[in-house]
Amino acid sequence: MVGLATSFVTTRVGRVQLRRGGGGPPVLYLHSATGEGEGLAFLDALAERFEVLAPMFPGFGESEGIEQIDDMDDAVFHLLDLLEVLGLEAPAVVGLSLGGWMAVELATRYPDRVGALVLVNPVGLYLKGAEIKDIFGRSPGEMALDLFADQDHPVARMMHSMDAFRNDLAITTEIPFEAVKPVYQAMAATARLGWNPYLHNPKLPKRLWRVTSPTLVVRGEQDTLVPAPHARYYAEHIEGARLELIEAAAHLLPLEKPVELAGLVTEFLETELSEED
Amino acid sequence: MRVFSFHLMPYPGLPGTYEGPAWVTCPNELFDPELGHRIYNRYLDELVYAEELGFDGVCVNEHHQNAYGLMPSPNLIASILARETQRVRIAVVGNALPLYDPPTRVAEEFAMIDNISGGRLIAGFVVGGGPEYYSFSINPAHARERFAEAHDIIIKAWTEPGPQEFIGKHYRLRFLNTWPRPLQRPIPEIWIPGAGSIETMEFVARHRYAYMGIPYFHRRVFERTFRMFRDACEREGYHADPMQSGWLTPIYVAGSDEQARAEFEPHFWYWVRKLLPGITITPPGYTSLRSLENQMKGAASFAVNLRTWDEVVEGRYAIVGSPDTVYAQLEECLTAFGTGNLLGLFQLGTLPAEETRRNLELFATEVLPRLRARFPEGHPVLDPDAEVR
Repeated sequence: MVGLATSFVTTRVGRVQLRRGGGGPPVLYLHSATGEGEGLAFLDALAERFEVLAPMFPGFGESEGIEQIDDMDDAVFHLLDLLEVLGLEAPAVVGLSLGGWMAVELATRYPDRVGALVLVNPVGLYLKGAEIKDIFGRSPGEMALDLFADQDHPVARMMHSMDAFRNDLAITTEIPFEAVKPVYQAMAATARLGWNPYLHNPKLPKRLWRVTSPTLVVRGEQDTLVPAPHARYYAEHIEGARLELIEAAAHLLPLEKPVELAGLVTEFLETELSEED
Repeated sequence: MRVFSFHLMPYPGLPGTYEGPAWVTCPNELFDPELGHRIYNRYLDELVYAEELGFDGVCVNEHHQNAYGLMPSPNLIASILARETQRVRIAVVGNALPLYDPPTRVAEEFAMIDNISGGRLIAGFVVGGGPEYYSFSINPAHARERFAEAHDIIIKAWTEPGPQEFIGKHYRLRFLNTWPRPLQRPIPEIWIPGAGSIETMEFVARHRYAYMGIPYFHRRVFERTFRMFRDACEREGYHADPMQSGWLTPIYVAGSDEQARAEFEPHFWYWVRKLLPGITITPPGYTSLRSLENQMKGAASFAVNLRTWDEVVEGRYAIVGSPDTVYAQLEECLTAFGTGNLLGLFQLGTLPAEETRRNLELFATEVLPRLRARFPEGHPVLDPDAEVR
């Protein structure tokens, strides 16, 4: 098993934390609002066949510069800077949820900088009657019900145990600030991009035709945070895109089904990247 | 010192079966307009009565989409008070600046109230509570920036000749030229309520405004908050004046301690259990990390967590008792906090009209004169012993 090593690169907005490892064609992984990346078996599995680059977005982990990013425009320019800094011409881009939204924003604006696109439970759309559930005002325990098919997953259990603290200041016990800080920072960074419009870009649907890269959309069948029509919409409106479902999994697919997801992504990328040659 | 009668204008009609929050998602079908008609007029009478009883001023504030306080527009209430009173200061504590776009609306309405009242307005500016960022869908990440820009716009509109231009990040006004201008020159007294955010304290200290400790915490948290504010003033190179701070507290006076508690307690618990739930929701990015850390130190002592009357008394969450008890506890808190403005809530939760009036009367005749004698204006309020650095 190939492990990822942490390093730092300097971008225009500041120092960015980067996990990197493996070898082969480059794959850029864009994380979700939970800021996953550390010890992610999914990325380790991808690193068997690819060079995996997993930057933390500003405001997440130890990455700086979120105060210079006000909206998705700024976020996409930051991704462009990252591609320059990392020397990537047109890597495969894999994004989960918020990261999927960022990936598709990059692919609509700069299609020739994305070699292949994998959207895992992506947000970014508003679909009437299939609204994305709230992430900014609910308790971790309520969130866990939408994020995991298996409520016994260690992260789901941890989220349920945090419910004593709630997502507000009405707490009855003193909690260590260090426990709250990364979660608060991650959600604050997400709010900058997705508070209003809520986790979507109203202009995105009319731009989806601009995506030219081979595209795979993956949905956890039991994802109740982002209803099924979202993945379907992307798959139907991006030319040539394919939709795959993974059973017994919800929103945080890379955590719940790392092997299955890595298998799907590896197979897709190997097929598409070899066809291009 | 100055003593104000503060009214939240709470909704007293939430059904006993309702267990949800009083904020953001509290179903508005629970609001009964017939009851609304009665209580708005009753609450206005209670504010007007404070002038007759000799209070220095009255206070109203702004909250949206909630049952806790029925003043989405405190300026409407303040403008009625501007006509129905002749002498008292009218403090609007405050307008939630980031919710106004453009915030020239605040400069205009405050100036109207100041003109109509003959220069009696105290202008309050507030960032807005956490729930308001949900209720307005305004990005909490921009709360502080919008507040600072809106403040600059209002002060510019009031103090510099127009037409002028304001080009900021969040507000861009090509023609800033508000009519009317406030009557008080150069500007009305300005109050800023805060819940322990260090940025807010520093902002108030820098501008030499007054800091109002509004939320309902254990007295230890208030002591620390007001000390931090005085320290912020010291860092700006001056000693805080007692009039630069104010403390809000529920007050209930009756013939004896036992009678006061018996009459007041059920209404207090309605307020704690029905109206406070939901008030503490904190949207991501609304508070800086260092302020969040500071606020978390006091969070467990927020009144929503109160369970027993002993806790209420021990923490001084409400000052309740005979005139002697109420005077003694207020004196003790004021000297520990060093606050020159006392903002009393004489109506709380479901407290009925009759009890509210008696409370106001007893306070005005039995307690207020003693507070005035003990804390004459221009003298320090803080007990030097409490000023241990």
